[in-house]
Amino acid sequence: MLAFVIRRVFQSLLVLLVVGLVAFSMFRFVGDPIDNMLGQERTQEDVERLRTQLGLDQPFPIQYLKFLEGAAQGNFGVSYRQGRPVSEILVERAPATLELAAVSGFLAISIGIGLGVFTAIRRDGFVANFIMSTSLIGVSLPTFLIGILLIYLFSVELGWLPSFGRGETVKIGWWSTGFLTSSGLQALILPSITLGLYQMTLIMRLVRSEMLEVLRQDYIRFARARGLKERAVNFRHALKNTLVPVITVTGLQLGAIIAFAIITESVFQWPGVGLLFINAIQFVDIPVMAAYLMLISVMFVGINLIVDLLYFAIDPRLRADRGGAH
Amino acid sequence: MLRLSITTAAALVLAAPAFAAEFKWAETTDPQTMDPHAVNSAAVLGFLNNVYEGLVRRNKDMVIEPALATSWEPIGDGEGWRFTLRQGVTFHDGAEFNADDVIFSYERASSEQADTSSWFAPVSGVNKVDDYTVDIMTIAPNPIFPDSIANWMMMDSGWAEANSATRPDKDQGNYATINTNGTGAFKVTAREPGLRTVLEPHSGWWGEVEHNLTRAELTPIQNPATAVAALLSGDVDFINPVPIQDAARLASSSDVKVIQGIEARVIMLGFPHQAETLKYGADEGKPNPFLDVRVREAVAKAINVPAILQTIMRGNAEEASQLVSPAMRGYSEANAARPAFDVEGAKALLADAGYADGFSFGLKCPNDRYLNDEAVCQAVVGMLAQIGVNAELDAMPVRNYWPELREDNFDMYLLGWSPGTFDAEHPIRFLATTPNAEKKLGSWNFGDYSNARIDEMLPAIQSELDDAKRQAMLDEAAKILQDEHAYVPLYVQPLVWGAKANVELTQRPDNFFILRWVTVN
Repeated sequence: MLAFVIRRVFQSLLVLLVVGLVAFSMFRFVGDPIDNMLGQERTQEDVERLRTQLGLDQPFPIQYLKFLEGAAQGNFGVSYRQGRPVSEILVERAPATLELAAVSGFLAISIGIGLGVFTAIRRDGFVANFIMSTSLIGVSLPTFLIGILLIYLFSVELGWLPSFGRGETVKIGWWSTGFLTSSGLQALILPSITLGLYQMTLIMRLVRSEMLEVLRQDYIRFARARGLKERAVNFRHALKNTLVPVITVTGLQLGAIIAFAIITESVFQWPGVGLLFINAIQFVDIPVMAAYLMLISVMFVGINLIVDLLYFAIDPRLRADRGGAH
Repeated sequence: MLRLSITTAAALVLAAPAFAAEFKWAETTDPQTMDPHAVNSAAVLGFLNNVYEGLVRRNKDMVIEPALATSWEPIGDGEGWRFTLRQGVTFHDGAEFNADDVIFSYERASSEQADTSSWFAPVSGVNKVDDYTVDIMTIAPNPIFPDSIANWMMMDSGWAEANSATRPDKDQGNYATINTNGTGAFKVTAREPGLRTVLEPHSGWWGEVEHNLTRAELTPIQNPATAVAALLSGDVDFINPVPIQDAARLASSSDVKVIQGIEARVIMLGFPHQAETLKYGADEGKPNPFLDVRVREAVAKAINVPAILQTIMRGNAEEASQLVSPAMRGYSEANAARPAFDVEGAKALLADAGYADGFSFGLKCPNDRYLNDEAVCQAVVGMLAQIGVNAELDAMPVRNYWPELREDNFDMYLLGWSPGTFDAEHPIRFLATTPNAEKKLGSWNFGDYSNARIDEMLPAIQSELDDAKRQAMLDEAAKILQDEHAYVPLYVQPLVWGAKANVELTQRPDNFFILRWVTVN
């Protein structure tokens, strides 16, 4: 077990280095930050001076090594746009994204599993069919379109919910939360639906097909034959076994929620790290872009690691195989 | 808080017609700093004009009027300008404004670290005469100096020293990057970069209050559709800009109104004036046809500007004939006519120049810098095709665009120019003078246009105190540029703002949103 974990951590670090290298080498194609930082009346001297000051005149490998050196110490440099440490900005913006992702993830998992089970048990019912066909919309419409449609319906036409932003937030230490104010909770509704919709339909369809698969198994028939109540068969026996693959996908999807938050955040002007990243691209704010990409890759690598470890915990066969191999 | 002020407002409405109000607005870009000398960009200067003030300021018609200086006059025979300062002005923190702050602000804004230093290139020194009189000496007579410093904002020397912000710091930032202490009508009470900035009226402001705001909050909203939705749903009172394609729909709503105007920015086409060969398209490597003035004139005639204005700009812009718009000082009335749209004439000119069968080249264009820039370039491509000239369009984000232009990677390019001084001298200095890094001239003259007479006239234009003589030179320069078709000016970019129906405001051609002219009814 320990050897497995160490090996996985080592692999993860390698992945991070490669991601960092690829991301960092791409920045030179994103554009030149200098023009954005200087006004119209700049001179060539100003350009050269700033370039030297920012270390952009140095060769690429040295820039990357400097970045790694700083990153290893938790120092991601200073944002070109805001003139403040990137780590400070990320810490400020992270709560917005994490809260949004948590609510979206919760909606996606609870509604997704619920509807999945429902449509599996009532597979030929009218309601189940209706849910299945409307869920196609959730998968096929692009996120920004769903977001804009929701804004037009619920903010412009009905005037029920705010069209953008996070509402009022309350500070608890460095964490700013929107959970404690009514405007904060209202502001969460539309973006979290927008962000969670795709994952919700995905989980629902996955649960449904897995559940249908399981319901066909012999032990379910035997359970029925033993005269167990339908409820007990469905939930205690069938659902439990359905969830193993669902956990894998859900784990990865949680990462996707945070990464995909970019689009939702820019539609709703949600002040999280995704919006920060979009702005950073427009401004060629390389320190912010680099830090964000590293953060996202750390997260994905971490989630993968946790999913692997969860397998260990849930599925005894895996443990047996591993044990046998050593 | 909100409810409280609504009740207050409701109570006040019974008492007085103009009641106090809270105001929320959204712009595409957040001012990147609160330091008035760190970044010379419209987003920063426009916002900070509400917080900081200069010796002079522009009124609703862009004319210079007294602000922290009550009067100014040339010294002797154009050695400089003497400014008499306003007495009894206080900064937001209560400190008093005097000549020392002017000198400090000069040193700060003209320092190497400041992005505003180019404004002070003509200045040789600043002398304090007494606590409320300052002499700003210039290297040569400088008639437009007061005009050129309308955005030079005064900082309190004591505050800057106490907070170690005596010089702007673009790279690391300092106290003044997030905090402010101006003399303006509004003070910043909360600043969260990229999220929101809150302003409240400065109770000790020296000027006459025209607005009725108790609080104003700026939120940047990048997504145009979200901004329009926020305005329609009443979450904000004002947005800038309104996407042109949404303007008509917004105007038809009874709750909101669209305010349209003409910006200071002229959109034009530029040519390579020194390149020997074409760099793009099927004729890559062949001699550069744009060296021939007849070809450039043919381009000017082939472009149907009224059609571009009608379809792409939806009737929101004006034709341009020269490098500045009619609202700018020094605009040449004598050269107000643009070459008429004339396909046959253009073809004849091309044939005359030896290109009867046309040619192919590459057109560079930004796609996120000016209003509908890429669409305009596509229209240009189509119009040039009618005279047999085939343009290969290469549109890209502006952050990639400037480096390409700087490396001369173009056969023709699109450029927009808004003169910071609101004077016709500005584009001549940056776009028409032979590039000279040492003298800091022609830094945006990517096509290396060069004309001895223009080069000769620039210093004279810069130092001529007699308005009529100066205008004569500007007329001459405009005529040379027009005759040579150094650039092909297309149109003056429109400004389209959206506001709730109950908001009264003033739109200035520099696209600055001035809060003290806002009333909410």
